Amino acid sequence: MRNKNWIWITAAGMLALAGGAALAVWDQTPRDAGPLMSLSLPDTSGQQQSLAQWKGKVVVVNFWATWCAPCREEMPGFVRDQRELGARGLQFVGIAVDQPDKVEQFAKELDLNYPALIGGYGAVELSKTLGNQLSALPFTIVIDRKGAVAATQLGPFKPGKLRATIDSLL
Amino acid sequence: MRSRRWLVAALGAILFVFAGAASAQVSPLPPEKAFRFSARALDPHTVEARFSIADGYYLYRDKLRFTVEPAASGLAVPSLPSGRIKEDPFFGRVETYRGNVIVNLQLPGTAPGQKVIVQAESQGCADLGICYPPNIQRVTVPLPAAGSAPTRPDEIPRKQWFQ
Repeated sequence: MRNKNWIWITAAGMLALAGGAALAVWDQTPRDAGPLMSLSLPDTSGQQQSLAQWKGKVVVVNFWATWCAPCREEMPGFVRDQRELGARGLQFVGIAVDQPDKVEQFAKELDLNYPALIGGYGAVELSKTLGNQLSALPFTIVIDRKGAVAATQLGPFKPGKLRATIDSLL
Repeated sequence: MRSRRWLVAALGAILFVFAGAASAQVSPLPPEKAFRFSARALDPHTVEARFSIADGYYLYRDKLRFTVEPAASGLAVPSLPSGRIKEDPFFGRVETYRGNVIVNLQLPGTAPGQKVIVQAESQGCADLGICYPPNIQRVTVPLPAAGSAPTRPDEIPRKQWFQ
């Protein structure tokens, strides 16, 4: 009787572990960044910018807005990473769900050193296909040099997490 | 018997570990649950609009907009209660709402017994560090006939009846 119980315990444990592992793998499966990278959006001066121009780099696409305080709070870190790692092939791209004048004003205040594109709510809809079911902000997608989604993040990154992800891809 | 207990304990421990792993991920509420909107008629010309905001979530006062259909209801811009003042480094002084927000909408153009559609546009954020795009919610409110008692709020939690 005792032996049988242990078999059941082991079986249940193995099943739970396998389930957990499967979930973890499923969550990290690279999703296709193709539709995102083929977007073309106006910058604050109205110039159309295609995301395809940054193919081959490690691209960090950040959906944000000036009316989103947690978005603004993590952006100085993005500016720093862009300054320190841009030469090694890192490219931040901000997609603002906002009015161009507000975006321009904030970009000036922050000395933003990467493009701030104007996305509107249509762009946020696209982020739904990449895991942002609630269309909430900030939502950030890290794309590797081959164009595959390496990581996505809803809400601000935990300190050091984005930098570690970028370092592993550069 | 003793081995049975171990079995239960072991399975329980496994469950706990996985439940813990699942709940460690951030799972914010959808906006219509974080910012529950309801409305009821107080009399043939007054609708009480209400947001019940979940703990850990807040709405921006200056992003709150109400409209009522048909337009002939005659809703003027309602006066909103004052919120908590927050100093925002970019926008300056902003007011936010937590808990319940109640706004009375005066509708001079309605006829007793008619139905109106109340639409609320709101925008808010969660303390866990995310913001939602502007969200629109609509509620149909039947207005009482002249002289009748106000309708009861449709969403009194059952618990309250037993307290």
